[in-house]
Amino acid sequence: MPGRDYLGEFEHIIVLALLRLENRAYGVTVRREIEFRTKREVSIGAVYATLDRLETKGYVTSHRGDPTPERGGRSKRFFRVTAKGMTAVNRTQRVLRSMTEGLDLIRSYS
Amino acid sequence: MTSQPDLVRPPRLATWLVNLFASTEEESILGDLLEEYSDLASKSGVAFARRWYWRQTMKTIAHLADTGVRVAPWSTAAAVAGGFLLHRFVSGLPDKVLSAVTDRYLMYWSTHFKAYIWMLNGMLIEHLVLSMFVGCVVALAAKRREMIATMTLALVPCALMGGALIWVATHRPLDVAWMLWLFADPFAIVVGGAIVRTRRSAAKPLPSGA
Repeated sequence: MPGRDYLGEFEHIIVLALLRLENRAYGVTVRREIEFRTKREVSIGAVYATLDRLETKGYVTSHRGDPTPERGGRSKRFFRVTAKGMTAVNRTQRVLRSMTEGLDLIRSYS
Repeated sequence: MTSQPDLVRPPRLATWLVNLFASTEEESILGDLLEEYSDLASKSGVAFARRWYWRQTMKTIAHLADTGVRVAPWSTAAAVAGGFLLHRFVSGLPDKVLSAVTDRYLMYWSTHFKAYIWMLNGMLIEHLVLSMFVGCVVALAAKRREMIATMTLALVPCALMGGALIWVATHRPLDVAWMLWLFADPFAIVVGGAIVRTRRSAAKPLPSGA
């Protein structure tokens, strides 16, 4: 049996945001994308804490961009999903689909 | 009217607080916060942007503290335990010094009242300085988790005193000055941690182009 390589809820959301943003994924864009799609306020600390965890697991990689004046001379840290991360997100999606298959969630909980 | 530099300058205290806790990611986090703050300030006004910045700061600190403990629970616990023992050892020193002096010079509070009061005040200040010293040592030992380690260490006496205060409050009215003094030691420990963290942060090279 493969290891427990499922993503947690927020990890899952972050990886999906990275996939949507492609090569524009850094703290600000990831946070805004999640806020826009989930309609909930997300802190930049939560985004970085999760991204660091995902990087430790090997699901994402990061590289530094050039420093910009609007950031007070600080550089952006861009993130990208790795092949291992893609496998994990696919596995999580499959499990969620399998668990929700046949359930009429809207009728059951409305 | 707000000048341009003020418009893009986020609250300094909030930035300093983020810097205290974001030991590895301060460049990215502070850069992201500043970028969004400037954007919000120009679109929705400075007051709105400042509220947003403070809200982000508080949430970010909570996440960074939580992550810091989760990433290295044992080294943080070791630093806190070591700090607790060190604090117990050094906090008894001023009392021993006072006893030694009074014994050596045969001083009694009834006859040397002024000298006694002077020494007691000195002893209280000594307690604070020693607590700050313990905070610095723990912060140095905790490496990149200075604030988490010192705040956890400060929580130990706070929790003990909180319990004691509840007991005292049920028996007699509480003296506010006395209560403040009780919490001065834990506060001094955290100040020690903040000093080490700020110095370490200042020792890092400035972001390129800043």
